[in-house]
Amino acid sequence: MKKKVVGILLCAALAATTVLTGCGGSDSSSKDTASASDSSDSGSSDELLTVDVYDDQANYQGIQSGWFGKIVKDKFNIELNIIAPNVAGGGDTLFQTRSAAGNLGDIIISSTENGRFKDMVKAGLLMDMTDLLKDKDVMKNYSDAITKANENAGQDGVWGIPSEISSQSPEVSADGIEPMVAAYMRWDAYEAIGCPEIKTLEDWLPIMKQLQEQIPESDSGKKTYALSLFKDWDGSSMVAAKNFCSLYGYNDTGTGFVLAKADGSDFQDITDSDGIYVRALKFLFEANQEGLIDPESTTQNYDILSDKYRDGQILTSLWSYQGPSYYNTTEHKEAGTGFMPAFIEDSAPYTAGCYSEGNAKVVISIGSQAKEPERIAEFIDWLYSPEGVECAGQANGAAGPEGLTWEMDGDKPVLTEFGEKALPSNDVTVPDEWGGGSWKDGVSALNFKTVALVDTDPNTNEPYMETMWSSVLEKNNTALDTSWKEWADGAQTTIEYLENKNALSVAAGTSYTQPEESSDITTLRNQCKTTIVDSSWQMVFASDEDEFNAILKNMQDTVKGLGYEDVLKVDMQNAKDQAAAREQTVEDYNNSNSDDTTTDEETTETPEATEAATETPEADEAA
Amino acid sequence: MKKQAVSKTKRNAAQSRRLFYCLIPFIILCFLFSYFPLHGWIYSFYDYKPPLSLSQCDFVGLKWFKTLFANKTQVAQMIQVMKNTFAMSLLGIATSILPAAFAIFLNEIKCKWFKNLVQTLTTLPNFISWVLVYSVAFSLFTDSGMVNTVLQNMGIITTPIKFLDSDAHTYLWMTLWSMWKGLGWGAIMYLAAIAGIDQELYEAAKVDGANRFQLIKNITVPALAPTFFVLLMMSVANFLNNGMDQYYVFQNAFNKEHIQVLDLYVYNIGMTGSSLSLATAISMLKSIVSVTLLAIVNFVSKKTRGASII
Repeated sequence: MKKKVVGILLCAALAATTVLTGCGGSDSSSKDTASASDSSDSGSSDELLTVDVYDDQANYQGIQSGWFGKIVKDKFNIELNIIAPNVAGGGDTLFQTRSAAGNLGDIIISSTENGRFKDMVKAGLLMDMTDLLKDKDVMKNYSDAITKANENAGQDGVWGIPSEISSQSPEVSADGIEPMVAAYMRWDAYEAIGCPEIKTLEDWLPIMKQLQEQIPESDSGKKTYALSLFKDWDGSSMVAAKNFCSLYGYNDTGTGFVLAKADGSDFQDITDSDGIYVRALKFLFEANQEGLIDPESTTQNYDILSDKYRDGQILTSLWSYQGPSYYNTTEHKEAGTGFMPAFIEDSAPYTAGCYSEGNAKVVISIGSQAKEPERIAEFIDWLYSPEGVECAGQANGAAGPEGLTWEMDGDKPVLTEFGEKALPSNDVTVPDEWGGGSWKDGVSALNFKTVALVDTDPNTNEPYMETMWSSVLEKNNTALDTSWKEWADGAQTTIEYLENKNALSVAAGTSYTQPEESSDITTLRNQCKTTIVDSSWQMVFASDEDEFNAILKNMQDTVKGLGYEDVLKVDMQNAKDQAAAREQTVEDYNNSNSDDTTTDEETTETPEATEAATETPEADEAA
Repeated sequence: MKKQAVSKTKRNAAQSRRLFYCLIPFIILCFLFSYFPLHGWIYSFYDYKPPLSLSQCDFVGLKWFKTLFANKTQVAQMIQVMKNTFAMSLLGIATSILPAAFAIFLNEIKCKWFKNLVQTLTTLPNFISWVLVYSVAFSLFTDSGMVNTVLQNMGIITTPIKFLDSDAHTYLWMTLWSMWKGLGWGAIMYLAAIAGIDQELYEAAKVDGANRFQLIKNITVPALAPTFFVLLMMSVANFLNNGMDQYYVFQNAFNKEHIQVLDLYVYNIGMTGSSLSLATAISMLKSIVSVTLLAIVNFVSKKTRGASII
């Protein structure tokens, strides 16, 4: 009898635990609100506040550590807990589950396209920051951009602050010294074959072949390849092919199947047999036939490819943050080896312009359930201040905290010895008083550009981006740099070279965001996307031209059968609206600046700074 | 033992109530995990967009079910997906005889430590997740993987063979992988069934002069047949549920046409393509087909074996 009673008790306990765990969600949330009310009662900033940051730009998940974490903690007694859907994986799943629970995070950094901003406001996930920001600098300095961005919110109020706000013309490249894409290749090999002219994209193939002959083996003795691809970042098209389109100034609108030229002169359907995208696929197909493409392209990911670049196994690169940043170490550069951009005569690489109205595609907001929103608002305000940009923007090219990585030398900012070792993001130990740990691991994981980094830092009177500082440009005098500069007729940077050639496609920065589309279109879009991306890969690795054409035909028929026309119509409209918005932004900027001379002066400062920089190294060379 | 038997015959009302209480936790569990999730079916009738709550979304009726058959290409894709599902399930069922055979042969091994070793080694893969299986496959079969490197070094091939990123023999490869993973585990039930066979049968047969193969043919196989048939029928009912993790990790642009089974298709549309409503509609259809299949199998079982399985 006793045994039975025990048995029943055990069963009851089991049932109780099941029910309790089943309702775990509500349990923990009630605890949350309890602690929130506790802390707001005391209202002091003495207490350490852990802020959940839902950040769809971040590539790191967990507590922000290292030097940036220490700065935030010392200043605000805040600890950032970053929640990154990019790391969690599974596409939109994390966003969906968190928003279904009604609490995305205390700070929300999110893309706003396809009506997401409006939906988040409607679903009550964001907090109206009007009162919180009333007396803050960010509101005083950027009220126009903030107002503009919140036009898409669907309700009155300040729900988000746009990113990359700039005081410069939308026609100035926001990329600083290197455009989004350029024809980087191993300069040592290109020079060895006599820097032959590349008239058009297809002319690059024989040269790639020669590069492979020049450098048959990587540093560790592996077979080299001119090209190597990866699939992690494929969206509505195969990124590896789309990049070649960007060499000619084309880019998509974010999710669409239309490739629009930066100046709004041409709009192409990516499935068009005569279009630039299919041309790029053909180019890659031919490269593969010639044995120029790394056969592991189909299975590898970005990290594996990065290691190959570090090893010198891949000889060309379109992104400056791939080939050049992984291989161009000081030793390599001094030995005259490394990636430098060549020029395809008929190309005009795409670069994003400055967002004079702010980039409303990505905004920062405070979550509706946030504890102590005042302290969070203060933190966000700081992110937009010069000091905030210097520190938090380091992930994207700013210099970091003054005194550690850089200091003022007279009226010019210069990198300290530590800065030279640590920047851009190297594995260097940070002094203990700055938080210790590795510099690389301490970089801000927010990956959110509050202000354009090509803008002038009022503290230094030079751009935030340290690679644009006159003192840094002066130091680009390794064997590799000098040989490239000679070839580039004295240009200092890729952007400057392309500007001189009048071959830079600047897509004017606008606050345009893609409007909401019906879910029918979204469903169709996703089905077409899979077909297009999969077929693109198959086409590049097709065994012969007949197969290439057959897959292309099959892809066109399949997407058409699914209802591609309807999606294309929407995309074409979006692309044209975007182009119109770009024109409008440029016009607005020019108008407002002809009235207001003070801002005009401010904006011309940066080009002057770079011009000044151009002169000095020449003197260096002469010496 | 005796006491229990006595109380059972008495059919004491209090006693059965107590037994019912013991059952409650399991009824709750069953309800929570099998019936409660069904309320999610409601999403297939709405135009659901994640940050909004269901009440803020439009009711669209059967729209998503119609979308599935909206045009020829949609139907063709659906047919291809069903073909893959059926092909892989059929191959799975066709190979379900192997664990039984394996169990029988394993049972014949008289050297005990060797038998245990083989059993352990073949059961282990079942506990490795598909993600890890894929990483093993990746290191073995990529272009710079072990197999290709060995073949190249031996001079048998000059260009690496594409094992993973090609659409050649996808069904066969997938069946082989799942067999490697499931063979030992599948044999456990048969080993238990073999252990349950009356040893007197074997002794009597031996006295009558039967050799090993005759023992297997006339005693072991007939004794295993009921177990085999029950498992077979259950796998028929699970025809459409052939899992997705295996196919998910092995899928790529090159083999997608033949690897995309129904569950994976639902995942690709719902999670990757974020059309949750459409994905719900497809999985609802799947449940209906599964229940129908189970009913048919049960009916057949009743007619042929005289016993239903549910």
